[in-house]
Amino acid sequence: MKIHRIRGIFLRYFYNLIHTYDRLTDMFFWPFIDLLLWGLTSRYLVSTGSTSNTIILALLGGIILWIFPWRGQYEITVSLLEDLWNRNLVNLFATPILFSEWIVTLMLVGIFKSSVSFVFASLISIFLYATNIYSLGISLLPWAGLLIMFGWVFGFLIASIIMRYGTKIQTLAWMSMAIISPFAGVYYPISTLPSWAQTVSHWVPVSYVFEAMRTVVAGGTAPISDLIWPFVLCLIYFVVALFLIISSYQEILKRGLISVE
Amino acid sequence: MGGKNYTPVIKGLTFDMKEGEILGILGPNGAGKTTTLQMLLGILTPTSGTIKVFDKDLATHKSEILEHMNFSSTYVDLPWRLTVKENLTWSAWLYNIPNRRKRLDQIKELFRLEKQWNMPIASLSAGQKTRVNLARSMVNFPSLLLLDEPTASLDPEVAAYIREFFANQRNVYNKSIILTSHNMSEVENLCDRVIILKDGLIYGNDTPANLAKKIEFSHLRLRVTKNFAELDKLIALRKLESINDANNYTITIKEQLLPLFLYELTKKNISYTEISIDKPNLEDYFMKVAKTI
Repeated sequence: MKIHRIRGIFLRYFYNLIHTYDRLTDMFFWPFIDLLLWGLTSRYLVSTGSTSNTIILALLGGIILWIFPWRGQYEITVSLLEDLWNRNLVNLFATPILFSEWIVTLMLVGIFKSSVSFVFASLISIFLYATNIYSLGISLLPWAGLLIMFGWVFGFLIASIIMRYGTKIQTLAWMSMAIISPFAGVYYPISTLPSWAQTVSHWVPVSYVFEAMRTVVAGGTAPISDLIWPFVLCLIYFVVALFLIISSYQEILKRGLISVE
Repeated sequence: MGGKNYTPVIKGLTFDMKEGEILGILGPNGAGKTTTLQMLLGILTPTSGTIKVFDKDLATHKSEILEHMNFSSTYVDLPWRLTVKENLTWSAWLYNIPNRRKRLDQIKELFRLEKQWNMPIASLSAGQKTRVNLARSMVNFPSLLLLDEPTASLDPEVAAYIREFFANQRNVYNKSIILTSHNMSEVENLCDRVIILKDGLIYGNDTPANLAKKIEFSHLRLRVTKNFAELDKLIALRKLESINDANNYTITIKEQLLPLFLYELTKKNISYTEISIDKPNLEDYFMKVAKTI
């Protein structure tokens, strides 16, 4: 793996980002709208006296942390889609680039963009609602790492399907995280779900992160040992997703990259 | 290229090339030209056989080999929101070009891209995009260059300049080039050797001149002024193919029969004011291949 090639691919996606209003909107506009709506909703709930002040931090924390898996998945699949829309996959892979270098770059692009969105959203949260996500402490940092990895899992899974079946199923790029979100418990405790859905949630690693966040917000602690099971689970999913995307790439090489559309 | 779910495009292809050679790959549509280039670039896996470039196996040394190769194709677009400069910059990083700025300035000048340098690809004409693609293919100063229809959509003056540029790359720097084109005169002028593909197999593999020699027929062009009926009778008698456009005859005839035919014209008092004989060329050979499919 060569750093200069990863830098080249990263630059390519970075240049595309600064010229594409859609991508900039995704980074800033939607997190802002989500924070605005949910922040006002939670303020209203607090003002009615039906709930405590911590609900604001719990809801806004959920929105802000959800940025990591959402952006991680989105960047991988939409970057692939843009290359397919532009008939550009050949320009990438008819060069010395290794498939692993492309994968690593997409992961880095996901971290970069989700970090920018995260910082932006957390500052908005402080500015609008005097709610500081950083007050949860650095103990949540490893949990954030798990969120990012889960984003990669879904990113590679959806990208591998799109590689095989083409852009006719591109809607998966936008749908997949929305499908998983009810089971992730972003805004509510997992106990709120019906029992069958709770069973599903046990197999969704990010659900443990949001549970941990709510525990910390309520004044409790989230021991690092609670991270072991969701991390192992996520790692298994990650390995499977990597296997799937590599096998999809090998499969499309048999048809010719130029034929993927 | 074949497999349980795919239709084979290339059925048997064995060729080699020397350093500093310009090799043309010709063939009718669907013959397998682009497929061959794709296999050489490692973006299409052959179902059997091996590809060796620079004496290394492409399957196991792909990245290493592609460091010294590049390509340009009209069928492949560059990211269209990026400017010309940005597209060449990220490409230069891929190849770890030393003195990147200097190299990009050279490329900008060589391919006359000064005016388009900061323009997005989307705003360029087809010819300008082709020039940018060609410029990108020279970023790493490749030892082996694959060009798929390199002068398609270029205006004649720029196309001539580009042909001269690539000829110089071979003459001065001993670069090797594999070229596909539908422009027969381009192939005839640039290529040392031509491979003709037909139905996924090699139909011809020789110099353009030697391939042309395999055609026995020449085109005799006459502007006839008298005894048209006699000429028509003679053409019918000799069972020749001809086209008559306002008494301008183009007659396809075997080269060894030409002296006899001209003698018969004189004997039958058929007058003409202009005469020219077109010797067979690569295009004639190509047409013969295309017709036999």
